[in-house]
Amino acid sequence: MKRLLATTAIATLVAVPALAVELTVGASNIAPYLDPGRDHSNVGSQFYHNTFDTLIAKNLDSDKTEWLPGLAVSWELVEPTVMELKLREGVTFHNGEDMTADDVVFSLNRMYQATFPPYQVRARDRLANFEKAEKVDDHTVRIHAKRAEPLWETLLNLQQVMIIPEDYTKALAGDPKVAENDDYEAFSLKPVGTGPYKIATFTPGEQVVYERFDGFWGDKAPLDRVTVKRMPETASRITALKTGEADIITNVAPDQLSLIDGDPNLKTVGAATALFHVMIMNVNHPKLTDPRIRQAMSLAIDRDTLNEALWLGKAVVPASHTMQEFGELYMPELETFEYNPEKAKELLEEAGYDGFEVTFDTDAVYYTNGLLAAQAIMEMWAEVGIKGKVQVGEKWTGNAPELMARNWSNPMYFADPFGSFGVMWAPNGPSESEGRFNTDEAYAKIWERFRYSSDVAERKAAYGELMDRIKADPPVLPLYRPYESWAMRKDINWAPKPGNIPYVLDFRAGSISFASN
Amino acid sequence: MLTYLARIVLKMLVTFFAIVTLVFFATRLSGSPIDFVIGEGITQEDRALLTSYYGLDQSTWVQYRAFLASFADGQFGLSFVERRPVAEIVGERIWPSLQLLLSSVALTLALSLPLGILGAVYCKSWVGSAVMVVAFLGYAVPNFVLATFMILVFSYWLNWLPVVGNGSAWHFIMPTITMSGILIAGLTRFTRNAMLDVLGQDYMRTARAKGLSEQTVIFKHGLRNASITILSVIGLQIAGLAAAGSVVVEAIFAWPGIGDLLVRSAIVRDYPVLQFGVIAVSVAVLLINAVVDIAYAYADPRIRLGRA
Repeated sequence: MKRLLATTAIATLVAVPALAVELTVGASNIAPYLDPGRDHSNVGSQFYHNTFDTLIAKNLDSDKTEWLPGLAVSWELVEPTVMELKLREGVTFHNGEDMTADDVVFSLNRMYQATFPPYQVRARDRLANFEKAEKVDDHTVRIHAKRAEPLWETLLNLQQVMIIPEDYTKALAGDPKVAENDDYEAFSLKPVGTGPYKIATFTPGEQVVYERFDGFWGDKAPLDRVTVKRMPETASRITALKTGEADIITNVAPDQLSLIDGDPNLKTVGAATALFHVMIMNVNHPKLTDPRIRQAMSLAIDRDTLNEALWLGKAVVPASHTMQEFGELYMPELETFEYNPEKAKELLEEAGYDGFEVTFDTDAVYYTNGLLAAQAIMEMWAEVGIKGKVQVGEKWTGNAPELMARNWSNPMYFADPFGSFGVMWAPNGPSESEGRFNTDEAYAKIWERFRYSSDVAERKAAYGELMDRIKADPPVLPLYRPYESWAMRKDINWAPKPGNIPYVLDFRAGSISFASN
Repeated sequence: MLTYLARIVLKMLVTFFAIVTLVFFATRLSGSPIDFVIGEGITQEDRALLTSYYGLDQSTWVQYRAFLASFADGQFGLSFVERRPVAEIVGERIWPSLQLLLSSVALTLALSLPLGILGAVYCKSWVGSAVMVVAFLGYAVPNFVLATFMILVFSYWLNWLPVVGNGSAWHFIMPTITMSGILIAGLTRFTRNAMLDVLGQDYMRTARAKGLSEQTVIFKHGLRNASITILSVIGLQIAGLAAAGSVVVEAIFAWPGIGDLLVRSAIVRDYPVLQFGVIAVSVAVLLINAVVDIAYAYADPRIRLGRA
């Protein structure tokens, strides 16, 4: 993109904002629909941040939690379960409509009181404590929770409660005064928000074209136009970067990094993603009901060796189900998971393991290095005497009674243990409902304290107890936080921000700049 | 000729119905789209909710009837993933695929017919041997290897050709060569063999004895008679290319065509798109076959008149 070079050079010399600054991103996948409310996929997360805003924003430059005004300029708790928010004035949607309390109430209630099945599903696991939003006046709204909520800001900063326009959405299909399922379906192909970039063209699964939105209320977008194109083949994607067809590419495999870094015109950036690749174990499989067997399966796995061999040591191996991004709730002191083959052998002996075969299911390609990790785990199991067998298949087997073990991922949907461990391992959550994890009254009680205590120390103590339960009767072992890389032209300054959820392609002001050379 | 055409059409219709039915049941054997549309970590209760929203809780028979009915409005149902009419999704991609197919067929014909004839006419000299070597090489190299090799040389090292998309004429070069590689190899060999068969026939000797020029002998008497064999091979190979050849090529070069769409919808089990995509490709194959059948009739009066 020589034009871009020329642009930045001229801009720095004479400060004439004349030529357009354009960027092309080669992504391994493009979302098939764009609706922040129903989506929580890794592919979709790339796109929403540029186009939509939340009521409460977050300082993304830090992995410490610092809340900032977003579409709301202030908020205060008027009752233990009622939050009142003053909305920013002069905010315009990309279609020219002004944002008012009605739009905010509509956006929130489409999730809090969801009738559209994809929203219901997303709302249930994280927004279940919210009853409704209501308008006080044109620039004031109140949100009612069912019970006192310790995570107000966190849960108003979610992608799922980004603000969308009411009238526009309702008019997309059917009756223009009523919100119907088809309105939401249509919205996901023609998304409109308040963010610094509007979506000029969206070809599902193929291409997203952003254009700067001049009516944006905050710092204006630094780029005029960004085209994110699907380039599924790794080799083609890297070559496209080299030929200048792309300026930035996503999803570079660890073994390709040195190739790119060796090129004087290119560079890579990367980070351990806020997501765990995990091994799950079916606590209800007749042969695995004895927790000692599962503890042994877990203790036998040398995760540091997996990291060295598969991720060149760039992944992060956790001692517990915890991440730095959790802020105050980050608990590196917990020692829930360890490598101890001797102890594994002892436990197998005590449990009377008779050499039965333990199957480990994996997709061939879904998780980067997933199959290789599975094969290595079989070797590690063999070291302690467990007879393992990898079963490669495409089907999700997490809900199958015959499941013994398989790989899975536990993403951080938002920066709190509730947004990671919590979504997957809550009482009656996905894992329990799929029949491979059990909770009891005691677990539910600890869960309550962890989820709803207003005291951080109390929440931490409860989370520690949950981890003790997981350790004593393990249904899961977090293997590592995979290392995710992007590659780009050397003059581009861009990197994923530490305060963001994984995979976001952030091109807002302050997120990208160009070295003048 | 009319009866002949009617027979072709009837054959197509029966085959089409068989394909439609087979595709419907085959796609359903491979897993539920819910796992892929929604992703990981949903409760059984939510899974049931979505299964019902997408109409997948209905009996197979009801779904099959709805599937057939969706042909009526020309929309072919809604994609599970994109929630827009399947006809629209596939429609966006037909032209890029067709362009690539046509350019590949053109390149194939332009190279393999002359090469095959050369190979036959000069079968005893080094020219003939060289043609055969090229043909065997083309056959032996898989298309994804050829594609990667070209990308390495012409894009990565030399930076002459673009790698992704279909934005300009330059974008056609590598995908077209990749698509036609095996086809050129195969058709060259078939043309050569067909010509060799014909060149040994008595009527060729007669033609020469009549004092016709060598050019007339080879092209009018030789090629015309060899064309039946060549046509049937071309038909089969182009149909094969339309059905499967584009899948790899489109993925490698990020070509926004049907092959790429098929792969993607197969991965996420987007039944409606997958079904219609397979059907669209099948129709293309049927049409190509019909065209070949008609071309036969043109080339060989015995077929046209039903006296073969």
